[in-house]
Amino acid sequence: MKYKLKDFFKKKKYESLIFILPALILIILFYILPVALSVYISFTPLKNWNLDKYLGTVIGTRNYERFFYMLQHDPITRNVFLTTIVFIGITLAINVLGGLLLALATYFVSEKFSTAFRTLWLLPRMAPIAVYSLVWYYFFHGSNIGTLNSFLMYIGLIKEPISWGHDIIPWGPWSIIIFVNGLVGVSFGMIVFTSAISNIPKELVIAARVDGASNWQISTRIFIPLMKWHILYVTTWQLLSLLTTYAHIFLLVQWGLVSKQYGTTWSLYIYQIAFTGRTDQGLAAAAGVILVIVGGILGYITLRILGFEKMITKPRGDI
Amino acid sequence: MRRSKALSKYVVIGIVAILIVIAAVAAFLMQAPPTEEKPTASPTPAPTKVELTGNFETDVVEVGKALEANGISEVTYSVWAAGDPNSVIRVLGIVEAANRINKIWSDNNVNVEINIETRFEREFMPLFEEFLSKQPTGQASDFLANSYIYISTLAEEGYILDITDYVSKYSELVNDFYPTIFEAVKWKGRIYALPQDTEARPLYFRKDVAACAGLDLTGLADKVRNGEFTWSDVYNWAKQAKESGCAEWGVIHRKGSAHPDLIQFIYAFGGRLYNPDTGKLVIDKEAIYKWLYVEWKMARDGLIPENMMEWDWGTQIHPTTVHGKTLIFIGGTWHWTEWQTRSYYTDPTTGEPRGLTAEEVKEFFYYTLFPAGESGKDPVTLSQPFVWVINSRAGERNPKYDTLKELYHELAFLILVKASDPDINAIHSIISSHLPVRKASAQLMADEDWVNRLKNLELDLSDEVKDQISEIVAATVNPINTEFLANVSYMLDYTHIAPIHPLYPKLADILKDAVDMVLRNQKDPAAAVQYIIDTVNADPDLAAEVEVIGEIPSGWSYP
Repeated sequence: MKYKLKDFFKKKKYESLIFILPALILIILFYILPVALSVYISFTPLKNWNLDKYLGTVIGTRNYERFFYMLQHDPITRNVFLTTIVFIGITLAINVLGGLLLALATYFVSEKFSTAFRTLWLLPRMAPIAVYSLVWYYFFHGSNIGTLNSFLMYIGLIKEPISWGHDIIPWGPWSIIIFVNGLVGVSFGMIVFTSAISNIPKELVIAARVDGASNWQISTRIFIPLMKWHILYVTTWQLLSLLTTYAHIFLLVQWGLVSKQYGTTWSLYIYQIAFTGRTDQGLAAAAGVILVIVGGILGYITLRILGFEKMITKPRGDI
Repeated sequence: MRRSKALSKYVVIGIVAILIVIAAVAAFLMQAPPTEEKPTASPTPAPTKVELTGNFETDVVEVGKALEANGISEVTYSVWAAGDPNSVIRVLGIVEAANRINKIWSDNNVNVEINIETRFEREFMPLFEEFLSKQPTGQASDFLANSYIYISTLAEEGYILDITDYVSKYSELVNDFYPTIFEAVKWKGRIYALPQDTEARPLYFRKDVAACAGLDLTGLADKVRNGEFTWSDVYNWAKQAKESGCAEWGVIHRKGSAHPDLIQFIYAFGGRLYNPDTGKLVIDKEAIYKWLYVEWKMARDGLIPENMMEWDWGTQIHPTTVHGKTLIFIGGTWHWTEWQTRSYYTDPTTGEPRGLTAEEVKEFFYYTLFPAGESGKDPVTLSQPFVWVINSRAGERNPKYDTLKELYHELAFLILVKASDPDINAIHSIISSHLPVRKASAQLMADEDWVNRLKNLELDLSDEVKDQISEIVAATVNPINTEFLANVSYMLDYTHIAPIHPLYPKLADILKDAVDMVLRNQKDPAAAVQYIIDTVNADPDLAAEVEVIGEIPSGWSYP
């Protein structure tokens, strides 16, 4: 029996409501209301931050029309769109599969080593974003001061420094932003999956071992099926997170390490439209609303594919 | 019984949590602007504005007295500016003006004092963007020194004061500004700023590299001036310098944006960026094609770095130039003293970083106008006047702003008038090698005696400002530098100004991308021109304000 909303209003469920009320208030104030405001702004000609002048005017869907026009005609917007798809697709795969791989791998080795190894993987996430971005800025720098370039030149693989973020279009900048984000993102899945695996009863593993199962078989036949929730959670979370993240990429684009067109994702593009160059907040809001809708659709599809409905339905006792 | 007790415990916890959240939110929302003081009832109403007469001392004393009568004893303004490290007068000029006004007030028994908060940044574009985003929330500075190109945007949005009526009283000051420069402070016939400085953009040639490559610099400046020496010759010289091993690069230029330095190419090829009849921006296909072709060709032949737009000023562009690793640098007059005050140069004997001496700068660098693109065209230079604008909310942080708004604005204007004092502008011009904006400043700069007094800091400046500029003065005030400024002032006769149009910065941004693409050979010049047109057309609002003229020339070759 699925819990229905009206159950909340029966006296029995009042306690749950009180528990979630503070968080609900915060979400309404700091998410729902701003989203509502953004939606409103997308229907106004707001630019140059001139709230007084433009916020009162409603111009209908003109910003959306402009954005779709740019999507069709502006090479930059098209490339940003393409970059977003490639970036999310590949980074998501890396984050989920990489996290899974790390969690499984560290399960089968000694405790001390695996703890140290996992901590190492957490370092990118713990580092302040600016510091982290600076490290990779110098690593991939296009001149001979770049670490990668100087190393490759030292071992004689290349003669001249290569501008990774600009010369190898589009896979140069794509690889850089995927790599930089992937390194950070993997640790999230790794932690969740490690925790999941540690909660699986050891007896199952022991029994499997007794039956002669290999590590691979234990991973694929026991662990992964039992981690369905966690895989769903990490995938959905990472997907939506990648759709909206831009902090790590922002600095790399800002400092000119990667080509602007192929290093900018949709969320960063919205930031650029709103805060720099165009300073056209109405247009940025429209692009943002579209992003939210796309995010919602993608999240829903992910949940459907990974069987969310099935998972939350209580099993029927009569089958 | 037990169950209702458990329930009430949860209820209490929940209510407490909700109250905490509400309190936190309320505290956050209550960070309102400073509350107004209740106006004290006075027998006769104190004046809330003053009629300006054009006599500075009278006006400023009247404003001071009016403020005092309203119970104001301290007025705080803030000033933001950006630029090269020697251009600190962009903020200190306001500080000095405030100090001079404070002195006038104390001499006239007016018990009010002005306090100035300053902020000085390197890049002018991000500072403008910050001012733009903060002005509506009242967090932007009261004064801003930035490029004149932003006046149209700021004026259109109502973010800066229209000072036409105030300025009309100060006609003597207005007449002393150079007319072309004063045009830059106007938008739609109204005045929104006072000029702060201007400059020219010479082509710097390394004398040692030229000598090594067998290139004769004698009379070059004149040859450029009468159009004999064009960018075709630049190519050949650059090639010779590189092939003879005398320099790593033939030409280097600025990074990060096409405006202002690279826009010179358009004018050098006889093109234009603006149609004064329609008020629209112009994409001159032929001129832009030729410009992009020059950059593309030079990059393909290794004369200009492919990643030029990515270079860093402090660690790459300037060190390359001061170490003579390039024959030519498309620079600005202010670099002449920047090379002296910043440590871009590694001393060959000690290995320590230091600034060049004025003698070394003179020994190393020859300078000319920006050459004509091809024969039949004219040499050019580009000026980007910097201006001081006043926030339309200037003085808002001070008490009784609602009633005394007019007074605060008048005072802000008077501060600008004082900051335009000839000696302040002259000091700025010399220490940062910009060009003066008014004739009285040019006269001071030509006065050897005055320049000597500046060198010894024996001028009538407040101690606060003296302390902050003493190092720069020591490094930059000397006859070699003033001679340089005198020598480049002829360039103002050939100067262009980039268009005054709110969408010009956006067009300039697109041009920058095109340059980057041709340098990296991601597009050839013709494709890049098409890219510019496509990108402009992709934004209906921008497309409506841009005209496309001309055709890509067929059969045109370079060099």
